[in-house]
Amino acid sequence: MTAQIELKNVEKYYGAYHALKNIDLSIAKGQFVALVGPSGCGKSTLLRSLAGLETITSGAIHIAGERVNDLPPRKRDVAMVFQSYALYPHMNVMDNLTYSMRLKRKPRAEIEAAAKEVAETIGLSHLLDRFPRELSGGQRQRVAMGRAIIRNPKAFLFDEPLSNLDASLRVHMRKEVRALHNRLGATSVYVTHDQIEAMTMADHVVVMRDGIIEQQGAPLDLYAHPANQFVAGFIGSPAMNFVDARISESGEAARLNLPGEPLIPLNGSYPPGRSVIVGLRPEHLSVVGPDAGLALKVSMVESVGSASYISCSATPELSFVVEGTTRLRSGDSVHLAIDPDHVHVFDAKTRLAIGVVN
Amino acid sequence: MSRLLSSLRDGKGFDIVLVAVPLAFLLVFSGLPLIYNVVMSFQAVDMFSLGTFNRPWVGFKNYVDVFSLPATWPIMRNTVIFVVCSIAGQFVIGFALALFFARGFPGSSYIRGLFLASWVMPGLVVGAMWNWILAGDFGVLNYALRSLGIISENIFWASNPAWSLWAVIVANIWLGISFNMILLSVGLAAIPRDLYEAAALDGANGLQKFWTITLPMMRSTIGAVISLGLIFTLQQFDLFASITSGGPANSSNVAQYWAWEMSFRQYDFAKGATISVVMIAVVMIASVIYVRSTRHEVRG
Repeated sequence: MTAQIELKNVEKYYGAYHALKNIDLSIAKGQFVALVGPSGCGKSTLLRSLAGLETITSGAIHIAGERVNDLPPRKRDVAMVFQSYALYPHMNVMDNLTYSMRLKRKPRAEIEAAAKEVAETIGLSHLLDRFPRELSGGQRQRVAMGRAIIRNPKAFLFDEPLSNLDASLRVHMRKEVRALHNRLGATSVYVTHDQIEAMTMADHVVVMRDGIIEQQGAPLDLYAHPANQFVAGFIGSPAMNFVDARISESGEAARLNLPGEPLIPLNGSYPPGRSVIVGLRPEHLSVVGPDAGLALKVSMVESVGSASYISCSATPELSFVVEGTTRLRSGDSVHLAIDPDHVHVFDAKTRLAIGVVN
Repeated sequence: MSRLLSSLRDGKGFDIVLVAVPLAFLLVFSGLPLIYNVVMSFQAVDMFSLGTFNRPWVGFKNYVDVFSLPATWPIMRNTVIFVVCSIAGQFVIGFALALFFARGFPGSSYIRGLFLASWVMPGLVVGAMWNWILAGDFGVLNYALRSLGIISENIFWASNPAWSLWAVIVANIWLGISFNMILLSVGLAAIPRDLYEAAALDGANGLQKFWTITLPMMRSTIGAVISLGLIFTLQQFDLFASITSGGPANSSNVAQYWAWEMSFRQYDFAKGATISVVMIAVVMIASVIYVRSTRHEVRG
C-alpha cells in the first residue's frame, strides 16, 4: 500500500507559537483519516498545511509521491470542503460546481456533462439555478462537496464540514459523506472536534493536542487501548472516569483514593506501590448487590430513554451508564462492580498507559 | 394628552419625530432652494426682480438661450472630460491602492490612514498646493519632467489652453484617490477570506481570483463609489476657482463653475439656474441607472 499523503517531521511556527510539533503521518490511498482534538490542537493548521493555505516551517509533505512543500494550493490537486462552505455567493449552484473547470477553460459540453453527473451524485439536479443564499444548510453542504467531487482530486480535505448543521442532519450527512468516500474510492482527511464523528466515519483516527499527535490508529483500538490519559478521556462518550490510586503490594490490584480506600482487582501484574491513575469507562461499571463493589451515593440521574447516565458523588465524580431507565434517584446508595478486563492504568506523573508486567 | 406624550417618548410618535426632524431640515435647506432654482430657470430674472418671487414666466427661453451660446458645447465637453477622467483616475488608482493595502503588510493600516490627509484638506488649500506644483516657471512638476528629459521647456499648465483642464483634473484625481481607496478598502475587507482560499484550491491564479471573485463581489461598492464620484466631481468648484478660474478663454471651464460665473459674475441668475437644473437632470439620470443596476444585487 503506497502512501497517498505523507508528512515527515512537519513543524509549523506562528512567530514564537509552536503550532505543529514534529508531525509524522502517512495516509494510504483510499483511506478515510480523521484528525480530532480539542480546539487549538493544530488539526486545522495541519489540514490547511496539506492544502497549501499555510506554509510549514520545516519538514516535508508529499502528495501522491510529489513533494508539495513549495507548491501553491492550485497546483496541489486537492479539494477542500470548508466549515463555512465558502460557496461563491454571486454564482448559482451550476457555476459554483463548475468553477474549477471553467478556470481551466474546459469545453462547454464537458463542463455540462460533469456538472450533471455530480449534481446527480449529490442529489441537487433540481437546484442548479439557485444561488447559495436560496439553499438550506444541508444543500449548501452538498454543493460544497459537489464542488470538490467534480475535480476528482488526489485527496479530499474536510474542515469540520458538518459543524454548522443541526444534530439530526449532521448524523445523516455523516453517513452520506462516508458513503460518498467509499463510492469514489477517494482519499479523505477529515478534521473534527467531535470524537463521535471521528470514530464513526474514519478508518484511521489521529488524536492531536497542543500541536502533537497523541495517538493514531483504528477507532476501536484507540477506544480499547488508549496510549495515555488524554486519549482515554477524549475518546468515548460519556467520558472515562479517572481515579487516583496506588498499586497494591501484590501488583494485581489497585487501592483507589476514595473514602474507605477500596481495592479493585487488576487483570495482570503492575509495579507494586506505584502511584497511578485508574481509568474506568462508565459503560464498564455495573450495579451489584449491597455487599460487593464500590459503595457510592447517586448525585444525579440523566435519562435519555435508551440509557441512563448516573453520576455519583465522589472526588472526582464517578459516572456510569445503565441500559434503559433506572429506578435509582439522587441520594440513593449504589454499589458498583468493575470488570478487571476494562481497567486502564496510567502513570500518575507521565500520564502514559502502563503495560502489564508479566 | 399623557397618551400623546408617552407615544412621543416610546412608540410610534417617537418614530415619527425621528423621521420628521431630518425631513424638515432637508425640505427647508435642500428641497425649497432646489424648487426655487428650478422655478427661476423658467423666469426672466434681472437685478431688479431678484428680490421678488413673482417674475415674468418665459417658459423654455432660458434653456434655448443657454444652448445657443457659443461657449455651451465646449464647456459641456470639458465637463464630460473632467468627470470621466477624474472618476477613472480616482477609481483606478484608488482601487490599486486599496488592493495594495489589503495585502496587510506591517504598518499597512497606519499608512492607509495617512492617505486620508488629502481628503480632509479643503479644496482651496489643495488648489493652492497644486498651483505651486504646476507653476510654469518654478513648479516642481516642470522641474521633474525636465530633469527626466520628458519635456525640453517649461509648460505653463494653468494658463496654456491645451493643458489647463488637465491641470485641474490631476489635482482632482489627487484629491479623490483617498476617498475612493477607503470606500473600496471597506468593500474588499467585506469579502470573506475563505472564498479566496476556495478559489485558490479550485485552481485560480491571482488575476483569475480578481476577475471572478473580487470584482463581482465588489459590484455594489464599485457602483456606490462611482456614483458618489460623479456627484463629488460635478460639485468640484474650489479647484477651478483656485487653479484656473475656468480660463483661459473657457478652456478649463465646466458646467458647475460656469453656473456660478453666470449667476454671480455676470448676474444672469436665470441662465445660472438653468445650467444647474440641466446638471441636476444629468445626475438624476445617472442615479436612476445606478439604482437599477444594483437592484438585482447578489449577496451571500
